[in-house]
Amino acid sequence: MSGTTENQPHSALHGLEYHAGVPVPHGKLALWLFLSTEIMFFTALIGAYIVLRFGSPAGTWPSPHEVHVSEWLGAVNTFVLLCSSVTIVFAFENARQNAPRNAKKWLWATIALGCLFLGIKAGEYKSKFEHGIYPRAPRSLLYDRADLVYLDGVKAETRRLMEQGGRAKNASREDSTTGAGQGRLGLIQSGLIQWTERTVGRSNDPLMRARSIEALAWQIYPDSFGEIESARIEKFIQGETDWNRQQLIQLEWQLAECQSGLKEIQEQLEEKLQVLKSIDAGSKDKMIKAARKRAQTELSMVKKNASTATLRSTELTVERDFLAGRIEAVAELTPEQSPHGINHRWGLKLPMVIPGGNTWANTYFLLTGLHGVHVVIGIIAFLFLVPMTLKEERSALVENVGLYWHFVDVVWIFLFPLLYLF
Amino acid sequence: METKTNHLEDGGKDPHHDSKDRKRFFVVIFLLLCALTLTSFWIANSHLMETRAVGWTAMMAVAVAKALLVILFFMHLWWERRWKYVLTLPALVLGLVLVLLLVPDVGLRTDTWSNTRRNAAPMSIDTSSSASSDPQINFP
Repeated sequence: MSGTTENQPHSALHGLEYHAGVPVPHGKLALWLFLSTEIMFFTALIGAYIVLRFGSPAGTWPSPHEVHVSEWLGAVNTFVLLCSSVTIVFAFENARQNAPRNAKKWLWATIALGCLFLGIKAGEYKSKFEHGIYPRAPRSLLYDRADLVYLDGVKAETRRLMEQGGRAKNASREDSTTGAGQGRLGLIQSGLIQWTERTVGRSNDPLMRARSIEALAWQIYPDSFGEIESARIEKFIQGETDWNRQQLIQLEWQLAECQSGLKEIQEQLEEKLQVLKSIDAGSKDKMIKAARKRAQTELSMVKKNASTATLRSTELTVERDFLAGRIEAVAELTPEQSPHGINHRWGLKLPMVIPGGNTWANTYFLLTGLHGVHVVIGIIAFLFLVPMTLKEERSALVENVGLYWHFVDVVWIFLFPLLYLF
Repeated sequence: METKTNHLEDGGKDPHHDSKDRKRFFVVIFLLLCALTLTSFWIANSHLMETRAVGWTAMMAVAVAKALLVILFFMHLWWERRWKYVLTLPALVLGLVLVLLLVPDVGLRTDTWSNTRRNAAPMSIDTSSSASSDPQINFP
């Protein structure tokens, strides 16, 4: 049983001992120096996070559930790291007691817990990636606000997904992305995206333009909208749908009128043709010739009317189908049927509006990633200890690696509340 | 806690305990850490978060307590000599100064809003006011 200071080589010569500036073994001194730089490193990182987090205005930092952060997984990971801290303490104690086999057992336990931590972390990363949350473009599907850039992003992504679906169909194989959502892409494109584009393009009201893109973002991913905003958008969509229904009825009337008109014109056309046929084409009688000319003029006028009416009817049909598509899209894709939005319901990955989401993703991946790198280095350091016999003379080494490991634990102690609970 | 007072009586030097006592002591620290983790989890889901600043402060206080437990006992700083201050305090002070300097400059930058900034802000800043004065939209 030896104290820390007695690990020094000349500890037997009390009184005549050479005292360096700091009365600790060199290895430990070096490690503490390193750790003091690490303190500054992580304080800077965590400080940057705190400043960004608290500097963001209210409502512009995603809450954990918006970005698929599971609080209890964070708590479990905290527990795992705490356990690993205790196991490495026991490994050190056993090495100090000259019990290398027990020390080795505790060392293995520490390595296993470190790997478990990394495994849980990898699972958490995967759940982010599955929802299109990446630290940066082009993979990241996060947009900070619902504006024209966002609308463009949704449009491009939908087109990409449709092309992908087409290719998968051609290759006639099952793809994970070609699920129920693939069938909805057409409706999403016409009923949501094209509609929004047209509204934005035609309206002179800036509020109308803003609301319609907001409504699109809300339909795709409503989780990032507050209650008040959701209610506002729901009201907007309700108003729009009511108006669309009226428009649709009017359109149907107009279309019916137009088609009956078209029928009349067709009858006229046939009548004129009959008249024209009945007139002898070969006759040289002046009267007959004049009658023939008149009939031809009338026919061409009726023909002109017919083409105008056909054009009008086509226009009305297109407009009616567009409106009907919009009403269907709202009825079928609106969050009343799917409270977590289109992405969640149809398993799609369309761009989402999460205010502050990109800053969040950057800080989250940077902090947890750098911490993860430290965990990996710690595990590698432990693996170097594995082939050694962990006797008393090795205990200083175990202690040093342990110090590093505890420091990694301390960093996580701060990251857990900051990233998961705030 | 008996073991802890023993350490205190040792005047900050590494005690020559029997190892069972030491191990029991570390298990007690571990249990304390687990309890504190649960505490911060509880705070996050309690009424303290109604005033967010209170909840955040409480959670940070718990985190500092946990970090102190780990640093003092698992990393043996409690039993080290005074060199520990030379290596840890300057680093800590430098780190904190960095954060404290940034807070008024960057961290509080959104406490007051100019009109230009308000107009350029993401959509959900004035949630309360915009709901009450929601203007009527005419279709089309």
